[in-house]
Amino acid sequence: MKARSHSLAAAIAVLAAAALVAGCSSGGSGAADSAASSGGVVKLDFWGWAPGYDQSVALFNQTHPNIQVTFDKTASGSKGGYTKMLTAAKAGNAPCLGQVGYETLPSFAAAGALTDVTKYAGDAKGQFADWTWKQVTIGGQTYGIPVDTAPMALMYRKDLFAKYGISTPPVTWDEYAADAAKVHAADPSVYLGDFGNDSYNYAGLAWQAGAGWFGTSGDQWQVTVDSAANQKVAGYWQGLLDKKLLKTDPSYDPSLYSDMASGKVLSDVNAVWDAPIIAGSVKDGAGQWAVAPMPVWDAAKPVYGNDGGSATAVLKGCGHAKEAAEFATWMSTNADSVSNLIKVTGIYPAATSGLTNPALSAPDAFYGGQTIFDVFKAETAHISTDWQWGPTMTQTSTDLGDGLGQAGTGGTTLPNMLATVQGKTVAGMKQQGLSVAGG
Amino acid sequence: MTTALHERAAGRTTAAGARRAGRRRRGRPVALFLAPFLVPFVALYAAPIGYTIYQSLFRMHRSGLGLTAPTQVFVGIANYATALGNADFRGSLLRVLLIGLVQVPLMLLLALGLALLLDAKSTLFKRFFRLAFFLPYALPGVVGAIMWSYLVAPGLSPITALGHQLGLHLDLTSNAMLAPTIGNMLTWGWTGYNMLIIYSALQAIPAELSEAATMDGCSAFGIAWRIKVPLVRPALVLTTVFSIIGTAQLYNEPTILHNVAPNLSSTYTPISAAYDAVNANNFNAAATESVILALLAFVLSFGFLKLVQRRGGAL
Repeated sequence: MKARSHSLAAAIAVLAAAALVAGCSSGGSGAADSAASSGGVVKLDFWGWAPGYDQSVALFNQTHPNIQVTFDKTASGSKGGYTKMLTAAKAGNAPCLGQVGYETLPSFAAAGALTDVTKYAGDAKGQFADWTWKQVTIGGQTYGIPVDTAPMALMYRKDLFAKYGISTPPVTWDEYAADAAKVHAADPSVYLGDFGNDSYNYAGLAWQAGAGWFGTSGDQWQVTVDSAANQKVAGYWQGLLDKKLLKTDPSYDPSLYSDMASGKVLSDVNAVWDAPIIAGSVKDGAGQWAVAPMPVWDAAKPVYGNDGGSATAVLKGCGHAKEAAEFATWMSTNADSVSNLIKVTGIYPAATSGLTNPALSAPDAFYGGQTIFDVFKAETAHISTDWQWGPTMTQTSTDLGDGLGQAGTGGTTLPNMLATVQGKTVAGMKQQGLSVAGG
Repeated sequence: MTTALHERAAGRTTAAGARRAGRRRRGRPVALFLAPFLVPFVALYAAPIGYTIYQSLFRMHRSGLGLTAPTQVFVGIANYATALGNADFRGSLLRVLLIGLVQVPLMLLLALGLALLLDAKSTLFKRFFRLAFFLPYALPGVVGAIMWSYLVAPGLSPITALGHQLGLHLDLTSNAMLAPTIGNMLTWGWTGYNMLIIYSALQAIPAELSEAATMDGCSAFGIAWRIKVPLVRPALVLTTVFSIIGTAQLYNEPTILHNVAPNLSSTYTPISAAYDAVNANNFNAAATESVILALLAFVLSFGFLKLVQRRGGAL
């Protein structure tokens, strides 16, 4: 009898709990739906982290009374933003729009976290460079609108280059290595550059060398992280690390900026969006910095790298895919929005109309009054456009970041690291049920 | 409802029936009283655990390139086999075990020593020291970890700089030094907390015991070793169990330290490995790794309890 009253109490409690949980979720989504359609105003949520996106959203809301977008600032993608979006998509309450880097878009597609907006976004295709459109189109379906691309360049201290006898910034990687040796020989506490642990920066170096990581063959993925072309890039940087010619501060870490400010690190090979980050992090160097094209492998046939670039993706379960695509297209193509994104976010626009935006020809005081976007503009024609990202990039980039960190302290070598990352990536893809060639 | 009414009517007639109905009716008030506990318990505690175990038995199935929405398939314990077959995850389990094996006894010995010193009659400034030793615990763990990160960061560390002056070339974030550095952070943060628990137990020991021992010619050390330590055994057992569970859940310190020591792998501890799996959108693997970690903490802490209980019985 006693046992029965216990089980009865437990049963009631379980039912009450279930009702509570069910009540919460159904009430929640019901409220959201009715709010979204009340008075004919469509409400969209937009998750992202880039500075300046909120201002473009505000501009949109002013001119579009029927669509109101709310921008929620999340942690940056690799610092938890993507995990938040994926978790929300899994739980069925993702926002309509999310800032998703091209590198992560295939992972989102493989997680089933995106909404196909081909029929709404198709008209916008002509307004973008072909290769950027390819980054948001996977398996023939378009999942968002490209915002920017990220050509890489060499950002350097003009005055200190001169001080150590480097009259022109290195044009080739051979010259870069020679200059690194020259600077370090003149003062052992000074380094030409930093070899950080940012996996996407490293991806840009591989991209430049034509050392692709992923491909597809029929119904199978191919992983080529450990290919001969990749080993060549790894070998070059390992050579510089072995001679201790590069500083190994973690990427975007206060220690790196403190070294830049004190003149211990003289340059950085990084993407266009890093230009305002350096400007904001080493304010005292204002006017002394400059931007030059990134060093190339072959001066006769210059090819440059790309590090980043993102899309405004339409996430799973968006009930207003048409309006979401409309906003995303507007944000990437409207002249006012693009000027704002160039000025505040430091983007290099993906929309072809954006390339003539006057904000791109504004002189930059931090970089000695240089019109820095001219450098990036000249490079874009020479960036390989057939680079492809894989479906488990989050894992690959984590493994790569671990390996880069280890390589910086001598725990492993870059060529060994590539073999490890290759193995882990293939294993991870298989574990997620994907078919991989050669296994 | 009809049955209840019928029984209630019958209950009025016989004493036995009344007793039976009384028991039957008690069910509802019991449920009502238990609901404030059971509803949150089930919704917030049992359900998530159940869901985690459920998730660990499935895997996402994709076809070919995997660009269409995945489906969930039941795989039984295959995820457990995969997790335990993963060298990184096994390494992380082994790492927290080793850190715990060295750090927990050291920290508790230190805590016991400090507690005994505070308890000793001759100690001056008791209040000040009690607060000073406890203060690191009052600091949020993350803040303590950030502080220590800067104290050991290459290029910034005053410890390394001082060592350099003395001709010692320390690198507190080298691969070999990572575990000792993390152990140091844990010890710094938790010794005072454990000390306070042991100290409270010491305070509960009747003063007569020590007085009697003194009269019998026992030294202060003898009193501590022969009387006080055996009497605070329950407190030592409790702090050990807490520390075992705490070490198994190691996350804050390595995660913060990673910012200045990029050679610290992203799967350094089991929790960071599980978090890594979430980031890689592999929720099933994360659930599996969480369950394994929970089992490990359970086995270790209960194993320890069983061990000391058996020993206690023999003594």
